[in-house]
Amino acid sequence: MSSKVLVALRIKAPPLRVFEVFTADIGAWWRPNDLFSFTPRSPGVLAFEGAGEGSRLVERLPSGKVFEIGPVRVWTPGERLVFGWRQATFAPGMDTEVEVRFEAVGPSENQETRVTVEHRGWDTVPIEHVARHHFPDGVFLHRHGEWWRDLLEGLRQALISPSP
Amino acid sequence: MARASLTSALCYRDPKAALKWLEAAFDFELVMLIEDADGNLAHSEMKFGDSLVMIGNEWTAQHKSPASIDGFNTQSVHIKVEGDVDAHCQRARAAGAEILMEPADQFYGDRTYRCRDLEGHFWTVGAAVKAVSREEAEAASGLKIQGWM
Repeated sequence: MSSKVLVALRIKAPPLRVFEVFTADIGAWWRPNDLFSFTPRSPGVLAFEGAGEGSRLVERLPSGKVFEIGPVRVWTPGERLVFGWRQATFAPGMDTEVEVRFEAVGPSENQETRVTVEHRGWDTVPIEHVARHHFPDGVFLHRHGEWWRDLLEGLRQALISPSP
Repeated sequence: MARASLTSALCYRDPKAALKWLEAAFDFELVMLIEDADGNLAHSEMKFGDSLVMIGNEWTAQHKSPASIDGFNTQSVHIKVEGDVDAHCQRARAAGAEILMEPADQFYGDRTYRCRDLEGHFWTVGAAVKAVSREEAEAASGLKIQGWM
């Protein structure tokens, strides 16, 4: 799978904790982006339904409907998460995939996690497709990467600031 | 992360090899990578301390790696480290850096070394090791110095 963006950052929390917040609290830290909405009725609230391979990432829309973003393909707590990513406008054959890696870095008494998101497979979505907003490939991927950077920053904030 | 006002963008013939090399030699950390449909690097950013460098390819006929122009450089990047410059130099040497100047104390209070990377970019690495006044620096160097910080 090519045409990909990779974004990484460090979070001051151990990998298992970061994995738990990434999956269980995604509805709280996710930041919707008008350019990349999943459906015309978005934004809703994201959630992983279930846990482990076979579960799925969904967006629960304000209308009550549930849109499946993609199935979970790899679920290794504290290490790795892989899930599919489709927008409602994608035709059959268009499919992208997100891999998230959680890597322990730093000394054990002050452990940090390097979180790396790799979003790949945009070459399956033609450049003229509505999801790409007429951006040239590089510009589209750059904008998408900036969004992922914002998203990971949201995840980081959720982990370092205790909820009220 | 917040962007510094200045960011260097370097050109490499093989930027993906440069990403690995810069991590091994200088402990830079990849924070963004964009690849096109053919798997070629389109854009990347590495972080060190509070700063970024962009690692790219020779994206126009006028953007060249030193490896493509007989080793010439038209600018170089200075890395400010906290701590042991000699250990930093050892790590860079082990990763394949060509050390052009071994670590040495400078009249302005830094200890620095200079090296050449896998495609010929020059890098200077320094750490503050001693507080030096403007007068002391002028006396040691014979230079007239303005804007001393």
